[in-house]
Amino acid sequence: MATATGIYNRTYRAELALRHTRAEYARLILMFALLLAAPYLLDNYWLGITNSILIAVIGAVGLNILVGFTGQISLGQGGFLAVGAYASAILSGRAGLPVPVSVLLAVLLTAAVGAFFGLPALRLKGLYLAIATLASQEIIMFVVRRWEWLTEGAGYVEVARLNLFGWQVERETFEVQWYWILLGITVVAVLAARNLFRTALGRSFMAVRDQDIAAQAIGVNLTATKTTAFALSSGFVGLAGALQAHYTETVTWERFTLDVSVLYLAMIIVGGLGSIAGSVYGAIFMMLLPTLLTEVSESVQAGAPFLVEQLPAIKNAVFGMAIITFLILEPRGLNRIWSRMKDYVRFWPFRY
Amino acid sequence: MRHNPRVAVTAFFAAVLLGVTACGGGSDSGGGGGGDTTPIKIGILADLTGPTSDVGRPYNEGMLGYVDWLNATGGVSGHKIEAMSNDYRYEVPAAEELYKKYVAEGAVAIQGWGTGDSEALRTKVASDKEPFMSASYAEVLTDPAASPYNFVVAPTYSDQMRVALNWIAKDSGGTAQVAVFHHDSPFGTAPVADGQKWIAEKGLGLGYTAYPMPKTPNFVGLLSQAQSQGAQYIVIQNSPSPAAQVAKDIKAQGLNMKIVCLNWCSDELFIKTADSTNAEGHIMIQPFAPPSANKAGHATISEYLKSKGATLEDKGLHYVQGWYTMDVMAKGLEKALNGGGELTGESIHAALESMDAVDTGGVVGTGEVKFSSSSHRGSTGSGIYQVRSGAMAEIAANQVP
Repeated sequence: MATATGIYNRTYRAELALRHTRAEYARLILMFALLLAAPYLLDNYWLGITNSILIAVIGAVGLNILVGFTGQISLGQGGFLAVGAYASAILSGRAGLPVPVSVLLAVLLTAAVGAFFGLPALRLKGLYLAIATLASQEIIMFVVRRWEWLTEGAGYVEVARLNLFGWQVERETFEVQWYWILLGITVVAVLAARNLFRTALGRSFMAVRDQDIAAQAIGVNLTATKTTAFALSSGFVGLAGALQAHYTETVTWERFTLDVSVLYLAMIIVGGLGSIAGSVYGAIFMMLLPTLLTEVSESVQAGAPFLVEQLPAIKNAVFGMAIITFLILEPRGLNRIWSRMKDYVRFWPFRY
Repeated sequence: MRHNPRVAVTAFFAAVLLGVTACGGGSDSGGGGGGDTTPIKIGILADLTGPTSDVGRPYNEGMLGYVDWLNATGGVSGHKIEAMSNDYRYEVPAAEELYKKYVAEGAVAIQGWGTGDSEALRTKVASDKEPFMSASYAEVLTDPAASPYNFVVAPTYSDQMRVALNWIAKDSGGTAQVAVFHHDSPFGTAPVADGQKWIAEKGLGLGYTAYPMPKTPNFVGLLSQAQSQGAQYIVIQNSPSPAAQVAKDIKAQGLNMKIVCLNWCSDELFIKTADSTNAEGHIMIQPFAPPSANKAGHATISEYLKSKGATLEDKGLHYVQGWYTMDVMAKGLEKALNGGGELTGESIHAALESMDAVDTGGVVGTGEVKFSSSSHRGSTGSGIYQVRSGAMAEIAANQVP
């Protein structure tokens, strides 16, 4: 229970609780209320952005499992998204599988591809591994661009509007229906990731991150752990890719370039490495940034036309500034800022 | 004073979230309009800073110039056009986001730009019933069965490629090697396969190899590949800046190769960037008449620009292209409005399909743009130009494959 100067657990049960203070329960209720109310408060445009954020959250959580929790740097995010997207689009469109089955198969396939490209991680660490995963990004990009049978020579794959066993997504309610689907899947994915780190497997991930030799000494199987981390992380990313394919209804390689890998890395750096909540904050922040800048540009269009000219440059600069600012001022990201704010009010008027 | 931390935390969180959600509340989606004079909203996707911005900027200026001119001269049957124009940097996700924004803000039609985004949005615009014109002339967009709401004003890239190959076959006497240098994107690859098919179909006897253009500062390496193929002709499907670099490299390497530009590098910018000695003698396939051709359709634009203190010669060919693309759209809007009923995507679609040929004063293709319910290919004729002493000289008009 929270007291004036911090949280002290008096029982083991209390220590294991998911939420420690009443404020956290209040926040949970508030969040649920907002999530439930969102489709009624937001118009289609903002709901569309919310949907993109929900997909990005799944991808960011997946990447954070690998980078933040297991310490294996990956620049292959875009490629793994592509595997999920192409797999699900082709399986549902050409093989005629029902969408849930094709998404599931896409997740499994991406996990397998991820585990395969994770094999260099058994020998390589740090920057060397980053370059190896960069290679996986480029190889997958090469495949989806040059293997013509994937797109039947068209260069892109079209995905039929979502139809779940006769239940059809309609044009007028497209965003709202997708919102509920994506919200459900995202909540389950985030909870699953959250719980992963309360299991032996999740703890072995963190042991590998903190000191892999020590982890091996206490009996963690490095080979199995690293490969599993790649597979699990890629599974999440594949899910994000598959959902993106069905949501955007067109799969083109342009959506999975190295820029996307960097964007996702930026999300988890800004949000907080090694934190599930941080992945969520980071995804929201990085997805909203360009949109909000567009809004700003529109509102200043009349008053300061010279600013509009420079806006794309400003966008890039803000993007870079955000990452640098976080790296210098708070390397542990938005999640740490949030917990520091909580501590501040919790300990007030004391410093600690 | 007692400070309650829990209340403070909760209140802060509520304030932040409400602040975020409040952004979404404001915009209402007003329709097109009926008998009154409500403005007609059109969304424009522009590439002002991306890889094709060298031609994207003048094209966008042309569209906005037309809207400005039209609104000053009374608009569409009394309705002004409200053009919402934003830069999407040639990125598909940015285009999708802007598209959603435009639809939410009540745009009745969309003016797009690139092939990648037009193809990505193809099914969306069909299900949202948003008529969509773009500066992409990919073949797939002209087929109403595949892309019911896409309208293509100019001859397709494939048609331009066919005209180019016909010309090469004639110029070389039949047995030349052709290298196709294309932008590494859906835009670049759009005409490649159709060109190969055309050679086989017509028995042109040309050799044909396609090369994606790398992102390097020069194309010497690519040219040496083309040289080992024995290429005498290089068809370029790219924007003018890289095409001009190819022209410079050909000259610097002393190669005997002739560039045949498809429409996106067939312009004054190519000549200016390459400089007229390097550009001399190269060929351009261009469905839009350049300002130097002085067609009747250029007069209005010229006058408008003069009143703004600019000249059409400075703005160039792509300004004309943007102008007339918007003009065709406006003619469709006019017909839809005059037909009575509400201005919706569906009524604009029907109007565009059924309206009389739009006379562009000899500027676009054969001079007229006409759609039908079985074809959204607005025109088929391209002009062939050669760079002679720094200007585009017409060597053949209205070439149809």
